[in-house]
Amino acid sequence: MVKPIVVLEDITKSYKIGKVTYEVLKGINLEVYPGEFVAIMGPSGGGKSTLLNIIGLLDKPTSGKYFLEGVEVSDLSKKELARLRNQKIGFIFQAFHLIPWATAMENVLMPLLYRKEGIKKEDVKRAEELLTRLGLGDRLDARPAELSGGQQQRVAIARALINQPKLLLADEPTGNLDTKSSEEVLKIFEELNQTGLTIIMVTHDPEVAQRAQRIKTIRDGKFIE
Amino acid sequence: MSFFKGLLKETFKELLSSKVNLVFMLLAMIISLTALNTIYSLGMSAKHQIIKILESVQFGKDAMVIVAGGGRIIGLTTTRSDTLKMGDVKALEKLDFVKLASPISLGYMDVGYKGTVEKMRIEGVYPNYTVATNWYPQIGRFITKKDLKSMAKVCVIGSAVPKKFHMKKVLGTYIKLAGQYFEIVGVLEPKTFFGHFSRNERILIPLTTAQKRVFHVNYLSAVKLLFRPGTDMKLAKKVIRKILRKRHHLFGIAPDDFRMITPELALSVFSKAITTINMFLLSISIISLTISGVIIMNLMYANIEEKAPVIALRIAIGASSFDIILHYLIMSLWIALISGFLGWLFSVGILKLISMVSPLKPEFSVSSFVLSFCFAGSTCVLFTLIPAIRASRVEPSLLLKSL
Repeated sequence: MVKPIVVLEDITKSYKIGKVTYEVLKGINLEVYPGEFVAIMGPSGGGKSTLLNIIGLLDKPTSGKYFLEGVEVSDLSKKELARLRNQKIGFIFQAFHLIPWATAMENVLMPLLYRKEGIKKEDVKRAEELLTRLGLGDRLDARPAELSGGQQQRVAIARALINQPKLLLADEPTGNLDTKSSEEVLKIFEELNQTGLTIIMVTHDPEVAQRAQRIKTIRDGKFIE
Repeated sequence: MSFFKGLLKETFKELLSSKVNLVFMLLAMIISLTALNTIYSLGMSAKHQIIKILESVQFGKDAMVIVAGGGRIIGLTTTRSDTLKMGDVKALEKLDFVKLASPISLGYMDVGYKGTVEKMRIEGVYPNYTVATNWYPQIGRFITKKDLKSMAKVCVIGSAVPKKFHMKKVLGTYIKLAGQYFEIVGVLEPKTFFGHFSRNERILIPLTTAQKRVFHVNYLSAVKLLFRPGTDMKLAKKVIRKILRKRHHLFGIAPDDFRMITPELALSVFSKAITTINMFLLSISIISLTISGVIIMNLMYANIEEKAPVIALRIAIGASSFDIILHYLIMSLWIALISGFLGWLFSVGILKLISMVSPLKPEFSVSSFVLSFCFAGSTCVLFTLIPAIRASRVEPSLLLKSL
């Protein structure tokens, strides 16, 4: 039997601002299986990004259990979480978050720096192949400012894939792109999913969400049917 | 490319990405380091120059000067100073470890030449003065035994004297001293000097002439002793003190009416004065370095605020807190390396300029180079540590909240 890659059990998250406590997530349960393409939809302020932060090990839940590949991650140290993020998760952000002074190639290789094994020749070759596959073979030395939004997001995708992650997390990946670029990015996601990569994507756009195999809608901190 | 090499490259690129920040950080460090290096090198060169001067006057480790009058090494005499006589010199000469004893009678007097009068140092000396001080005439001759015996009115002058009096012809010329005319028979070779007092402005006359015709005294101002190689200085000092005290009828708690100056003692007195000034200047430099450190800390904070999303990204893609701290410390080491080198380079330039306009001959030592990097490194690392820790605490979740 195939085991889920992500298991969330009764996850809650609350923030205290002054004397007031805001409950952002109110008991989230979710199972994502390997090779799935899940879209999390919902209105602004519904808790989508908070949930993605927790799934991406960027934030810890207030209560509940989170299993990543069967490992309970809630109690792991910051160092162990960093290692897991590096090895198992690839991130794609709405604002791309590329390093402005680094070239496309250097941006892609960045996660390998924190792998602590050094950057080998085959890593450089793989980065080159990834960028070429994403249509950026001739822009390896270009800096983010010299690239279009679509190209920047493709560099970000290559960066997310360089460590061959088990899980790809995308936060509004087409939010800053025009229609054509959005379409290109979504096509890449579909292709990656077909190769067996698990993708969880947060979006508020129903059209974008439709591209996923499964859509989960979150409202007021809870999944709704 | 190893992790460390990658980090070196990445941090350097990041530094270059904020050129204005970088320039201010470097400037803050360079100014302080230049001051620190210059002061350090000047202090070192002053000390070395004193040693060189002491060596050039035969004041090496096998030498001693006995000065008439007791008291502190530098300062006023607190006892009688008319008790050091030729008899003492004869007694000391008999000691088997004494190679040579050269008596000196010293005074400052007006010296006249063709209407020009200058106050100068007059020394009544023995012919062995040349050996005792390693100082020989460049032209002409030195004072001879015959001059001593006849109380001749001849003199050997320092190399700066002819220029002082605008003399066209030197040898055979007469200068006026204590109302008498002295024939110049020789000119001493020039010697380096330290500070304002020129050693080349002196007039040497026979000791007997000085005592009987010029100063009208029967005592000496000092005796320079040269010891045989391998003499135990402590023991020599003890023996000489015993002899002189006995000869001067000093018993019990009566203080010495002479001072024995050894090279170590002379050096320590000079060094102490220099060290005090140096410590004062160094403390000012360290305060200025601290200010530079605070400037760096401030700019690092600004840098971290500005680049919080980049830090968050690094954390998101797998950098640990330690990696982030290391990242900023390496960045600070880059600043230290560049500013340390430039600070040293500027100080070398300043020292060159100083050496052109002053008698100080600054030395460009490895120690000042190392000092520059050590101070730069420690200041940069120390003042970057707190901002670096702050950077390591940047919440990676801000990446998703930033829009």
